[in-house]
Amino acid sequence: MAKIPCAHCNLKFDEKMMITEQDGEKTLHFCCKGCQGVYHLLQKEGLDSFYEKLGSTALQPAENQTDDLEKFDLEGFAKKYITIHEDGINEINLIIEGIHCSACVWLNEKVLHKTDGIIEAVINYSNHKAKILWDPDIIKLSQIIHTIRSIGYNAYPYDPKLQEERAVKTRKAYYSRILVGVFSTMNIMWIAIAQYAGYSTGIEQGFKDILNFAEFLLATPVLFYSGWIFFRGAYYGYKNRMVNMDALVASGALLAYIYSIYAMTTRTGEVYFDSVAMIITFVLVGKYLEVLSKKQAVDTLDTLMGSTPTEVTLVKEGVKSLVSVENVVAGDLIELKPGEKVVIDGVITSGQASFDESSLSGESEPVYKKEGEDILSGSICLDAALRYEATKDASHSLLHSIVKLLEESITKKPKIEQLANEISGYFSGVILLIALGTFAGWYLYGGEFEQALIISISVIVIACPCALGLATPMSTLVGISMAAKRGILFKEATFLETMAKSNLLALDKTGTITEGKPSVVNAEMFEGFDPDLLYSLVRTSNHPISQGIAAYLEASCETLRELPLEKIKSIEAKGIQALYQGSMLRGGNLMFMQNVQINAAYESRHSLFFFAINDVLVARFELSDTIRENAAKAIEQIKAMGIKVVMLTGDHERSARHVAKAVGIDEIYAKLLPTDKADLIDLFHQKGHIVVMAGDGINDTLALSKADIAIAMGSGADIAIGVSDVVLMDEKPQSIYEAYAISRRTFRAVKENLAFSLLYNAVAVPLAVTGFVNPLVAALSMSLSSLVVVGNSVRIKMMKLKGF
Amino acid sequence: MSENIMILMLSVSTFLGALGLIALLWGVKSGQFDDHSKFLDAARYDNEEDLRDAAMMEEKKKARKKQKKEKGMPPD
Repeated sequence: MAKIPCAHCNLKFDEKMMITEQDGEKTLHFCCKGCQGVYHLLQKEGLDSFYEKLGSTALQPAENQTDDLEKFDLEGFAKKYITIHEDGINEINLIIEGIHCSACVWLNEKVLHKTDGIIEAVINYSNHKAKILWDPDIIKLSQIIHTIRSIGYNAYPYDPKLQEERAVKTRKAYYSRILVGVFSTMNIMWIAIAQYAGYSTGIEQGFKDILNFAEFLLATPVLFYSGWIFFRGAYYGYKNRMVNMDALVASGALLAYIYSIYAMTTRTGEVYFDSVAMIITFVLVGKYLEVLSKKQAVDTLDTLMGSTPTEVTLVKEGVKSLVSVENVVAGDLIELKPGEKVVIDGVITSGQASFDESSLSGESEPVYKKEGEDILSGSICLDAALRYEATKDASHSLLHSIVKLLEESITKKPKIEQLANEISGYFSGVILLIALGTFAGWYLYGGEFEQALIISISVIVIACPCALGLATPMSTLVGISMAAKRGILFKEATFLETMAKSNLLALDKTGTITEGKPSVVNAEMFEGFDPDLLYSLVRTSNHPISQGIAAYLEASCETLRELPLEKIKSIEAKGIQALYQGSMLRGGNLMFMQNVQINAAYESRHSLFFFAINDVLVARFELSDTIRENAAKAIEQIKAMGIKVVMLTGDHERSARHVAKAVGIDEIYAKLLPTDKADLIDLFHQKGHIVVMAGDGINDTLALSKADIAIAMGSGADIAIGVSDVVLMDEKPQSIYEAYAISRRTFRAVKENLAFSLLYNAVAVPLAVTGFVNPLVAALSMSLSSLVVVGNSVRIKMMKLKGF
Repeated sequence: MSENIMILMLSVSTFLGALGLIALLWGVKSGQFDDHSKFLDAARYDNEEDLRDAAMMEEKKKARKKQKKEKGMPPD
């Protein structure tokens, strides 16, 4: 059978199954009604050049639209997401779903531009975020969203005030500062070459003055504009009674600058404007790269956050209405549809359904709940509509209280990283003291104020800048980029250091050690089994078990066809049934089989799925959450580094013990609530451990925020990624080992660099104190010492990680 | 080479460089480099139609401002 691409989305399907249409001489093929609709819309609007721009990129098929547009015009929604400008224009930030290439961005912008009432529409290609300004008198937000949906994309709002605006602002500020720094440094360097040449071959004072003055003009913006960040950092450090790295860079650069002005105006000695510009620019670039890695994490977070509902369906005296979650009070009756996320805690009054509570307990297997049982916010209703009575308002519901607790704990996060600057902090204090002593000594015994000042400043100049300033940022930079290449994102450079010092690793079970979703571990097929039928049946449900079966079938059978089923019915918490050409297909758990009088008795400690055709059992599957590949090996290697590994889980003891035994963890804590996990982390702290915690769900977030270093899985819950310090994009357990190895290696390089620069200073400073420093030697040794530091840092890249 | 020539060379070259820097800083501030891939696509898809589009958006903004004025709304 020939596979033909759909005229709109380019995905290839069998010709037989596609909708064909005659358009003049061409025959058009569409995979679905949605794509067909979008195609004709674009033709009609004269936007068909989209397809030229699209090339052979495949889109996702345009879906038929869901009917929730009215929620965009509700007041609660507007209050949360829409900014109203002074002149009455509204602004909203949206994330557009379904963008695959630049042609999609082009199409969306084009269509929005053509819409009346839209004043500005800008879409960012790399993160799919759009900013739209419109005139509320002409068009409503729901119409705008409808427009976006009508061309096959979807849009949902996010709140940029959270982090993004701040992140973008700092990024831009850094960028401008770096531009100024790089520009000035480059220019100063070529002027400095003339200076150096003049120093060795002789130069007239008149020319030297001109060069000095030009350097002065260029160095001034670098120090005060680009270097402002260091002055600010030094000030905050001073407020907290700390002499930090920023203070060292700032005081060193400032003193070199003052000394150079002095040397320039009095025509004594050499100027150091080039070192001023260079150190500020280099260290600034290092800091900027840290800001960049932080920004990426924020982007993923926003995408996930946007999907939490802001409205619920309230039933009052038999009338349904959409009400903003803030306006719901305890006692209200709420209707929940399948697939919806619960945002308010309550008790079920009518109906029954399975709930996905994985974000709360960490367990992927759904929980069946019926009338009179509690449902918790954060869980997702999977398979049926029901009504429940709110027992709390939104701000007291579990989801919100966890978020609130988190916000508090993030600000109070233990700051081990403050220790990171300890050595350099002491050092800068000592150097400043030595300089002061030198000044006093020369002034008292030598008697000349001028000479004493020059010598004491030269102590600071030779001691502080490059080597020590670069020691930490250079190595962490190499470490971070190396980790990023392996899919490990460190949100801040200092986390490398904290992680290197850690001696306890706490692991969550579900989603961290295990895959977090059930997969088939054992399958038995009997006579009459047809994989196509089962595949078609399980594809109708998005229950994790069904998805596990579908994934298994896709992996084990080469040719699978989806057959048209009739009368598909999903039976809450039991299974699914459907008709195919008169035969009854049933798939579900043991209870479902017993209900329809099929004998399927079987004992297993795993979840079971049975498949019956016309009341005859044809297949049995055992599903269980599988342990991630190489988990045991990674844990063994982490243990070999002298790190204690413990497991924390919300699951019951028996399955926890089973998993722990398989991966080689001795210490386990089972049946923990989110708060219990956090308390345990506190307990570890009290015992003097530096704790690294790895987890993925909302249930782990409290503990994650308490831990010194929090590692989150890339696909984990949005909040978990938000509070974590390190994100593992590929979710492999060996990435945890690699993160440890890289951070330890980096920390070693930092220590080596610091040791080297201290040694260098131990030699150079006494020479400077005694007044032997020749300016050329000072300049040369300064550059050489920084080269050594850079070279040593690059050596990190040559480290070998144990392969798997 | 006299000192004046050197002053002239230094100041002219630095000034020209500074002009470029200022243009770049303005670009950063006005958000032209926020989206690097779009920055490149703009060159790929640039044509007359897009120019008309941009002009149309400008018109829309102007029209709205004018309308507000005509309505006699307070200049808030």
